[in-house]
Amino acid sequence: MKPGGLLKKYSIKPRDFVKAGEGSIRIQKFLKFIGFDAGLIRRISICAYEAEMNVVMHGGDGEMSMLVDPKEIVLEVADDGPGIPDIGLALQEGYSTASPEHREMGFGAGMGLPNIKKNADSLDIHSGNGQGVHLTMCFEVKTR
Amino acid sequence: MMAGAAQHREPVRYVQIDESLCNGCVLCIKACPTKAIRIREGKARIEGVCIDCCECVRVCPRRAIQAITSESLDLAEKDHIIVSPSTVLYSQFGEDVLPNDVLLGLKRMGFGYIHDQSYTSEIFNLAVELYIKENREKPDAPLPFISPVCPVVVSLIAYRFQSLLKHIPPLITPREIVAREGKTRLAARHGLDAETFKVLHITPCPSKMICMKESILQEHSYLDAAIGINTIYGELKRNIHDVEDDIVLHHSGGIGLSWGMSGGEISGVELNCLAVSGLEETIRYLEKIEIGLLGDIDYVEFRACTEGCLGGPFTVMDKYQGKRNLQKLVRMFGVEKQVKYGYVKKLYDKGWFFTDKKESHEEAITQISAVDIARGIERLKRIEETLKLLPRKECGACGSPDCTTFAEDVTDGKASLESCVFWKDQKRKLNIRP
Ligand SMILES: Nc1ncnc2c1ncn2[C@@H]1O[C@H](COP(=O)(O)OP(=O)(O)O)[C@@H](O)[C@H]1O
Ligand code: SF4
Ligand code: SF4
Ligand SMILES: [Mg+2]
Repeated sequence: MKPGGLLKKYSIKPRDFVKAGEGSIRIQKFLKFIGFDAGLIRRISICAYEAEMNVVMHGGDGEMSMLVDPKEIVLEVADDGPGIPDIGLALQEGYSTASPEHREMGFGAGMGLPNIKKNADSLDIHSGNGQGVHLTMCFEVKTR
Repeated sequence: MMAGAAQHREPVRYVQIDESLCNGCVLCIKACPTKAIRIREGKARIEGVCIDCCECVRVCPRRAIQAITSESLDLAEKDHIIVSPSTVLYSQFGEDVLPNDVLLGLKRMGFGYIHDQSYTSEIFNLAVELYIKENREKPDAPLPFISPVCPVVVSLIAYRFQSLLKHIPPLITPREIVAREGKTRLAARHGLDAETFKVLHITPCPSKMICMKESILQEHSYLDAAIGINTIYGELKRNIHDVEDDIVLHHSGGIGLSWGMSGGEISGVELNCLAVSGLEETIRYLEKIEIGLLGDIDYVEFRACTEGCLGGPFTVMDKYQGKRNLQKLVRMFGVEKQVKYGYVKKLYDKGWFFTDKKESHEEAITQISAVDIARGIERLKRIEETLKLLPRKECGACGSPDCTTFAEDVTDGKASLESCVFWKDQKRKLNIRP
């Protein structure tokens, strides 16, 4: 662990819709507690939630981790599920492989990854067929 | 962490603890949503930010915690007092007592003017519709909008969910509209100064008194005093029987009457709405909204009390029986709107519904310094280190509500590890030498 940094980890269970979103809420509470500004927290929470829900819906066993540093917050969400065969396609607005059941629950608009891309200062996706998904999102902390 | 919120509040406390009755059990410290209470030297004390929810009042088995139910208002000058009861009052006397009977009972008690709130509530419903239709399509519209009506919810947002303040429309509540219009109209009619008339609100909760003094939504309140339903109940009840008067003081339909119960406010709003009641559920939903969820909903009616204001701490009737009474009234008066849309639109365009404090809704653009962030991280690390030393029994015997809060108190120098009743065992277990 970097000096000055703080690491938080939460596990994510696929298909567990009851607990889904809890990790994001905890991440958000945690950032609020430290005192980051609301706009930054909101962006991080949106990304955390979308990534968490993707693991719940499409992924395998997963973990969300966040490294908090006075200058930068790095959020990583990884799972060992089926992975994304075509990342470029998955990043397109509206593209979704969500099942009809997911859509009934109000998910599957295909806006998750595009939203992450929009809200994170940088996004890196590592994946491939059968290789799980590893997202790395960075957020710059602007201070005076 | 939430330094800003503390400055809003004067040290006036509407919730008070009688130390002679308090035996220092842990029920209130665990119930408080802002973790404001600690047990010090065997007695409960409110040390943090109180949002007047009265959860502590409700759980205290010894009745050691009470909320102040009324405020000094010279009741001798009754003829200059406008009484404006919460619509909940109509549910408190049984099925056969109609709103108009209740209002006439107040008249009989000698108050100069009696102003019903349920009709104005129906007007307010339309104002909310207009506001939301005008604003929801704007880029970055803060959806869902959140009702400004329950003061405990507003305080909770100001304290724990500051980023959601901008979700509260800058509209003044029905109780304030009734007070403002009552005063100005009477003043005009009698050629007197508006402040000659004082407005007394009959309330189901102490939080109304707080927002009379200082509200984050409003610079100036038109209410002058408040009295708990339970305080005025006995005398009012004696005055309700055999009312022969044929003056009509109540004008609303069922929608305005239903405001006392959860879902009542939104029953008159023809948009995609949600009603949430009870503090625990309210917090759960605010958390969701804060991470960006529920954006497909236009308006959420939050009520800190379970079942809505019927469950307020100053009510007399059990909330479910009160609900039955209100439901009967709603059936009797029907759900037809009594208010004309064009009339409300005109008032709306004149600015009639807007608060005098619009800026408070803008999110304060606070740039935090790098030093503050570093300090925040350091503090959190120390809290987590301290937490590792604790047994996590969450017993509250140390005087703090849970181990995490105790770790915070220790880190901030407000408590000592020695106060943990398991500390001796822990030291042995963890091999800590004195
Ligand atoms: N963790 C993951 N595991 C497997 N596939 C994923 C994962 N995350 C995203 N995907 C794929 O990328 C697509 C687009 O994701 P997203 O933009 O979040 O839309 P949505 O979740 O609404 O389908 C998903 O439909 C899915 O096929
Ligand atoms: S009224 Fe509510 S916020 Fe205030 S001390 Fe009691 S429980 Fe805490
Ligand atoms: S729900 Fe009603 S009675 Fe309860 S605190 Fe809010 S306004 Fe007061
Ligand atoms: Mg998604």
